[in-house]
Amino acid sequence: MRAYQDMVFSTAARLAGNDTQAEDIAQEVFIRAYEHFADLRGSVTAGGWLKTVTTNLTLNYLSRYRKRWRLFSEMRSNSQDSEADGPELDWEVPDTVLADLSVEDRSAIVEAALKQLPDHQRLPLVLYHFEELSYQEIADRLNVSLTKIKTDIRRARAALLPVLQERGGAADTLDS
Amino acid sequence: MNTESEQKLEQVLHQAFKGLPPRRAPSTLEARVAESLARRASLPWWRVSFASWPVGARVAFVLICAALVAATILGGVSAYLGDRSLNQAAALLQGWVHPILVVMASAGGVASLVVRVIPPLWLYGILGFGILLYVTLFGLGAAAYRTLYLRSSSAGGGL
Repeated sequence: MRAYQDMVFSTAARLAGNDTQAEDIAQEVFIRAYEHFADLRGSVTAGGWLKTVTTNLTLNYLSRYRKRWRLFSEMRSNSQDSEADGPELDWEVPDTVLADLSVEDRSAIVEAALKQLPDHQRLPLVLYHFEELSYQEIADRLNVSLTKIKTDIRRARAALLPVLQERGGAADTLDS
Repeated sequence: MNTESEQKLEQVLHQAFKGLPPRRAPSTLEARVAESLARRASLPWWRVSFASWPVGARVAFVLICAALVAATILGGVSAYLGDRSLNQAAALLQGWVHPILVVMASAGGVASLVVRVIPPLWLYGILGFGILLYVTLFGLGAAAYRTLYLRSSSAGGGL
């Protein structure tokens, strides 16, 4: 368990955006792992199995507790879609971001920024950049249209960049 | 933002995310898992999930359930039939169903009579009022959701 607990917890925490929920999910993952202990012991695929179960449980957890709000969430995101499809962003994309920071500082800034994204942006973004799923796979997993996934990921990136730049700049100043 | 900028943004962020170490799990996690497993292990077999029951208990449970279902069906059928023939039983069944059909037919007749008697304008008015009521309640629900739920969920600070 010790070898995998950080991986399981961080996968759940990045997807859920909530440490308390992530700990609950991680606990459930390891209980399931215990039930399959005979299959997993010594298996080279144990890490992959744990990662898949963590991802599935987190998505189930989020959909179970937030299903009742889904209708209104979609209404909200649709209205936001129409608003945000209008003007284009007018800032330049830098060549790097957080590149001058230590891994620890970079990690802290990224994790904090991810938590502030709304679920419908954070989930596809994490699945794309951290779990390395394709757009189509994410759309299938989340049962959402491919177009909406691409839009949500694009907006999540656009929302993250200024935050990372701002906090990266602040951390850089503090370090120096 | 054009496609070129989007691709650049994707690369820049991917670079920023690349190689990030996993977050450290809370120190309480291991103890929580151990405690949960100990609690589950202390439960009697009949209080855990069916899949974890001993094989003998599972087989016995399935057999008992099947026997109960069979006994219920056979008992019900024999109690219903008694010493009647199948034709008598069918007639009895029809006797039960007939009043229900009569009530449904009467309700349908009353509904069609009401539709004929009430002026169409009134019907459209009632329909419109129902739709207005639905839209109002839906709007109130959406407003409450945005005000109460979204505001509280983004209280931690949005981007």
